[in-house]
Amino acid sequence: MAHAIWSGAINFGLVTIPVKLYTAVRTDDLRFNFLHKQDGGRIYNERHCSIDGEKVEYGDLVRGYEYEKGRYVTVTDEDLKAVRPEATQSVQIVEFVELDQINPMYFDTPYYLEPEKKGRHAYALLRDALIESGKVAIASVVIRSREHLAAVKPNGAALVLELMHFADELVDQGAFDFPALNEKVADAEKKIAKLLIDTMSVETFEPEQFHDKYKEDVLAMIEARANGEEIEAAEVQRPVATNVVNLMDVLQRSLAQSKSRRGASAADDDEAEPKSAKKGTTRKKTPAAKPKRKKSAA
Amino acid sequence: MTPATRPRGKSAAVTTTVGGHVLSLTNGDKVLFPNDGYTKGDLIAYYRAVAGAILPYLRHNPLTMERYPDGIAMPRGIWEKQMPRFTPEWVHRVTTTPSTGAPRDVTFLICDDEATLVWIANLAAITLHIWFSHVPSLDTPDLILFDLDPGERCPIARLAKVALAFRDELAGVGLNALVKTTGGMGLHVVVPLEPRYDYEQAKAFAELVARRLFAVLPKDTTLERAIARRPDDVVYLDWVQVGKGKTYVAPFSVRARDGAPVSMPLAWAEVEGMRRKRAPETTAEMRRWTIANVPALVAKGGDPWQREGWKPQPLETALTRARPLWGK
Repeated sequence: MAHAIWSGAINFGLVTIPVKLYTAVRTDDLRFNFLHKQDGGRIYNERHCSIDGEKVEYGDLVRGYEYEKGRYVTVTDEDLKAVRPEATQSVQIVEFVELDQINPMYFDTPYYLEPEKKGRHAYALLRDALIESGKVAIASVVIRSREHLAAVKPNGAALVLELMHFADELVDQGAFDFPALNEKVADAEKKIAKLLIDTMSVETFEPEQFHDKYKEDVLAMIEARANGEEIEAAEVQRPVATNVVNLMDVLQRSLAQSKSRRGASAADDDEAEPKSAKKGTTRKKTPAAKPKRKKSAA
Repeated sequence: MTPATRPRGKSAAVTTTVGGHVLSLTNGDKVLFPNDGYTKGDLIAYYRAVAGAILPYLRHNPLTMERYPDGIAMPRGIWEKQMPRFTPEWVHRVTTTPSTGAPRDVTFLICDDEATLVWIANLAAITLHIWFSHVPSLDTPDLILFDLDPGERCPIARLAKVALAFRDELAGVGLNALVKTTGGMGLHVVVPLEPRYDYEQAKAFAELVARRLFAVLPKDTTLERAIARRPDDVVYLDWVQVGKGKTYVAPFSVRARDGAPVSMPLAWAEVEGMRRKRAPETTAEMRRWTIANVPALVAKGGDPWQREGWKPQPLETALTRARPLWGK
């Protein structure tokens, strides 16, 4: 279980529900490290001061806000907390609204709200009331020194806090040239388009069917390369037992250990039988995954 | 182009039946080895000819294909671990973790009959890399492999001397070793193991042997991993190749190099012959076995390793014997 990124309370009216906040989506992007082209060495980032050129450690960093060109005020974590001390601790519900009243473009990132022990009952009550009324709560919450607009929505057994954009963050559609909604489209054309939609329609949306194909392919390429790479260049000399006698001792102990392990389970485990791979599962004669769709035009 | 000529590049697929499976072989006259003119048809014919010899090694092991659909002029080939999506249903496979700590499982193809061998050759899988362990005991290797990699100016007699020293040192502790060409410059020395040691144990023993060899032949060998720091006339002893998910070039596999050399299992007598060679031409000598002459050798004499004796061996007694001999 991931650790909570935030712990506080949902407040509405006189009710307080202690909760913890967890991320509800994992973004596992491909991550690369930069290496020196010539010798493969890792590249390190160092912070240097623009005044004396000296290297600066993390502990010596302080936040600064550029209030006019080249002029900064410094701001500490305490300063930020002091501005709205109560806001860092709560999801302050300000109103309730029907879900379809909110343009989905406002929704940004979902988080799970998990109740603390003594808040379980109130949590369940709020959740069930939301489900039955078909409404969501609009709240104000501060995460990582930023105030957010958020919605609290029931989702299965959970309450989900979904961060929302402020109105001024959405780009106005007027800035683009979209065809007007009443633009003339022939009925026959529309019919064909609808027919196409019908033939490609599914009963239920199954997101499990979709994968980040590009990422999978890049990973496969990387794995293949790691597997096939000439080993001498890539591998760092690992520390080894410095002399042959030490090495023999280490190996002897290791062999003796696995021998006694085997001895312990010898009753049901034939000595000659190789231990089976933990994760290896043979699937002999099982059909290959069926190709999703044949190319219709050859 | 006259109407009579067929479309350029694409030759008609040939349908053939192997082991009850109907296979459609495409582009048989596509040249894979441009300097020698060997085609994909030649590659398929080669693997069919040596099927009886190579299949015992491939039969139970996860396979990585090194494919060259456009011939070996392309720099690295396609290293394919994950079985292609279009693999026919009858081809066997195993789904397992590709290496310790890998994020996801991979479905490997298992080449256990002639039909599969022909099918993958038709994918221009020139080189066949296999795991050190077989299904289902994927955590316990069947062999230790030493890659004897000669420097550019290393004479063949020295390479042979080092290989023979491996044989003798291992025989001294009661272990039987086998040898094959890599199909590149060097030799692979192989020690078959009983599949009941984990990869760490096998690796530790491999290190022990490599260090012993370096101690015995300090002027002929090096354990220096950085190419730049190796003398160019000695043999680099690479013992770190064994590992879960790592692979080695299967015996009788073709290499993607000019001349279409084969990684050829040898009788030790052959290496003794090399020991007496005066010519410095190591590479040419090591690539003497090719797609052109190996089928006849196999037809005549079978797999040399069958005669040399592939026998799974325990490590405990070897270690006990090594202690007084190598401990000094």
